Amino acid sequence: MITYMDIFNREKNVEDLEVYTGVGDVNEQLARYGVKFGIYKNNEFKEQLFPFDMIPRVIDGEEFRYLEKGLKQRVKALNLFIDDIYGEKHIIKDKVIPEEFIYAGSGYLSQCEGIKPPKGVYSHISGIDLVQSKDGIWYVLEDNLRIPSGASYPMIARGISRRSAPNLFAGKHIEDNRNYAQLLRKTMDHVNIGGHTVILSPGRYNAAYFEHSYLAEKTGAHLVTGKELIVENDKLYFIDYSGRKERVGAVYRRISDEYLDPMNFNKESVIGIPHIFDIYRKGNVALINAPGNGVADDKGIYYFVPKMIKYYLGEEAVLNNAPTFLPYYEKDMKYVMDNFDDLVIKDVAEAGGYGVVFGNKLSSEEKVRFKEMLKNEPRRFIAQNVIDFIDIDIMDNGKLLPRKADLRAFVLMAEEPMVWKSGLTRFSRNPDSFIVNSSQGGGFKDTWVLSQ
Amino acid sequence: MGIISIENTDKLFWLGRYTERVYSTIKIFENRFDSIIDMDEYEYSEFCKRQDIPNIYSSREDFSQKYCFSLDDENSIFSNLMRAYDNAIVLREEIGSDTLSYIQLAVYAMKKATISKAPLIGLQKVTDNIAAFWGLADDAIDESQIRNIIKVGKIVERIDLYARMKEEPEKLRREAKRLLNRIDKSGMRYNHKMLAHVNYLVQLDELPYGSLIESIENLVGDE
Repeated sequence: MITYMDIFNREKNVEDLEVYTGVGDVNEQLARYGVKFGIYKNNEFKEQLFPFDMIPRVIDGEEFRYLEKGLKQRVKALNLFIDDIYGEKHIIKDKVIPEEFIYAGSGYLSQCEGIKPPKGVYSHISGIDLVQSKDGIWYVLEDNLRIPSGASYPMIARGISRRSAPNLFAGKHIEDNRNYAQLLRKTMDHVNIGGHTVILSPGRYNAAYFEHSYLAEKTGAHLVTGKELIVENDKLYFIDYSGRKERVGAVYRRISDEYLDPMNFNKESVIGIPHIFDIYRKGNVALINAPGNGVADDKGIYYFVPKMIKYYLGEEAVLNNAPTFLPYYEKDMKYVMDNFDDLVIKDVAEAGGYGVVFGNKLSSEEKVRFKEMLKNEPRRFIAQNVIDFIDIDIMDNGKLLPRKADLRAFVLMAEEPMVWKSGLTRFSRNPDSFIVNSSQGGGFKDTWVLSQ
Repeated sequence: MGIISIENTDKLFWLGRYTERVYSTIKIFENRFDSIIDMDEYEYSEFCKRQDIPNIYSSREDFSQKYCFSLDDENSIFSNLMRAYDNAIVLREEIGSDTLSYIQLAVYAMKKATISKAPLIGLQKVTDNIAAFWGLADDAIDESQIRNIIKVGKIVERIDLYARMKEEPEKLRREAKRLLNRIDKSGMRYNHKMLAHVNYLVQLDELPYGSLIESIENLVGDE
């Protein structure tokens, strides 16, 4: 396992790290470019800077090739799974996955039954969350196939870091991650059925608005809100300032399924586009990612991913799942009850680090209540062994401090899956916490993938 | 030419107006406040009257603090800067991250000035960043239509402000001429009769400032 210390020492520049973290104020530069995320506190929208720590996560070439192989395999299988679920449902008929795990999950959308998206791609952009245990083994913690965010942060941070300390990047054979926009453009163009490509944002009060606008700028796609798009004669149009209608062929939508189309989903949605789902069904526009993907990134379905890899691809999974138990199965329920203190329990309906309970952190009374809830709603939870994943140092006021860090890898699907040679490394700012989500105060690091 | 929505056309126009408003009101404020220091304590009421803003201030100090820095005062320079920011932040794709960053820097400079022991001198950095924003907008934005919409916003705001402050007719004539040269290049919808009327008004010997303000405010939009 390689770390940043190897990189900095290898060049015999022992002061490298001090110089690197001391030069330029990269966070000041990130603030200048508005690298923020929004959060709602007490119903009030607030923009916060996303704290960046300059010490990178480093992954060597060989290790990354292993991850790349596993990530491609996983995303291919997940795409086949979604296609199957909204199509023939072989995996259910063959009893590989119990049907209640499909239909009882909030991610399954009956409206998507029978729909084939352009070029058969469902998960155009997949964000796969991984952690590396202290013995060097990588585990997948979560698949994000709906609207995974975060690629823009290391992308912009890399450019600024390189400007701050150009000499320190020289000769280190670090893959350039600023090509994410090209990969994304290729992904969007691959499924565009003819016309403009737009990035549909709920607007500036969305948590990830910086990312929406930055990716629009870097890909050359048009950033739009629902008000600027209209469905007419079974086609999607952008209305320009003069009232002229321009055909739209692909929509990278950064709004959730629920709010996408008030005629087909949540009727209260004011940010969606009426009838966009109807024309998507007819193949008249590409939606990136496809609606209904939630059926495959449900925390309950996660348990079955290695099985679906075997089922669809006839291969053993390259990447490990974290050891997971489904209280739905009697045997697993017993294990969870007997080993409650050693497990982390996750509510399958929650995201962003919410709904996560560490068994050993609960009081006796809370444990009793929680176990009762587990028995009553076994489908609602999964339990996992707590993986003691690695710490990566952060520089805090001149001191090196170890902090838990995960990795969100991005896989983009055009003709073939492409793994972005970087990723968003998120770290916990709290020394005792395993929760790295930005919404819970976490920061981010760049991820350096070495070409050698 | 890229595609621009009506909504973003509007935002570009107002980005031009609000950046101009912030820049010019800082200059006007600094100029007038310098005189107020040596004059009657309540002389600022005349400034409020000309700007057509309510005089909610209790003293000269209260006026300089709130009018410049209070976000609770909707007519303050800071409030207008935040309106510029609100328009700019959704225009990253049109104007580019580098250009946008100067609006962000102007906001940081204003926040810093607000808590500074010498707040008024801190306004210099706000105007510096706005000037840099305009310079980069002119240099780095490829799309001429986008540049022209921002410029039309600036000129309209300038005419409005000059009329409110009863500036020399010659200054207004110069801006009206610039508007005439620019507005068709912006592709914006505007009231042609109103533009002709603005040009008529600025040529009069006795400049009717009130009518001019009304006409310029009704210039942009459908006829």
